Amino acid sequence: MKKTLIILATLALGFSLPVHAKGDYEAGKAKSTACAACHGADGVSSIASFPKLAGQNRDYLYHALKDYKSGKRNNPLMAGQVQNLSDADMLDLAMYFSKQKGLTLKY
Amino acid sequence: MKTTTMTLCASVLLVLALPVQAAGDPKAGQVKTSMCAGCHGIAGWRTAYPSVYSVPKLGGQHADYIVAALKAYKSGERSHPSMKGIAGSLSEQDMEDLAAYYASSYSGPAD
Repeated sequence: MKKTLIILATLALGFSLPVHAKGDYEAGKAKSTACAACHGADGVSSIASFPKLAGQNRDYLYHALKDYKSGKRNNPLMAGQVQNLSDADMLDLAMYFSKQKGLTLKY
Repeated sequence: MKTTTMTLCASVLLVLALPVQAAGDPKAGQVKTSMCAGCHGIAGWRTAYPSVYSVPKLGGQHADYIVAALKAYKSGERSHPSMKGIAGSLSEQDMEDLAAYYASSYSGPAD
């Protein structure tokens, strides 16, 4: 009986925890203005040295931002940009750019 | 006067003749994708090591950026074990060709 309760409690806890915070599209859009100068307003950059972000996988974009912030991915330009971004900011930005039309899966 | 004009013409011709960057060939790139497609060509594919996230989409990305990324992986400036191994086996021409392929709309020979 006690065991059942513990199992139920564990299950309930599991369901109540978000698997992964997804980010907010509108908040991301509002925060994306700083990115637009290089990456384009909708993530389609017109400068070949700056990657297109539009349509990129959401979790890849988030991962890249985190790596720039931690310094694992070393890029002076991006390091400055992400310095003041919170985890929520990164999730929001990743959500916004992943929903734009641009990059595609190519075999 | 004549010398100036001649010099100008020669300079213009020289600039036109020099490629800004060694251009890759999408068709040559397409046949080199076997190492890439196993991860980048599969919808929703995620890397498992060293951390888990979806591999980036490459279709339509700028060729210059792809070449820069591959070079950074090869030099170790950008760290990822699998990509270091793969990029390390590529020549600069391979990188240019692969980048041209992914940046272009060419998707292989018609059957």
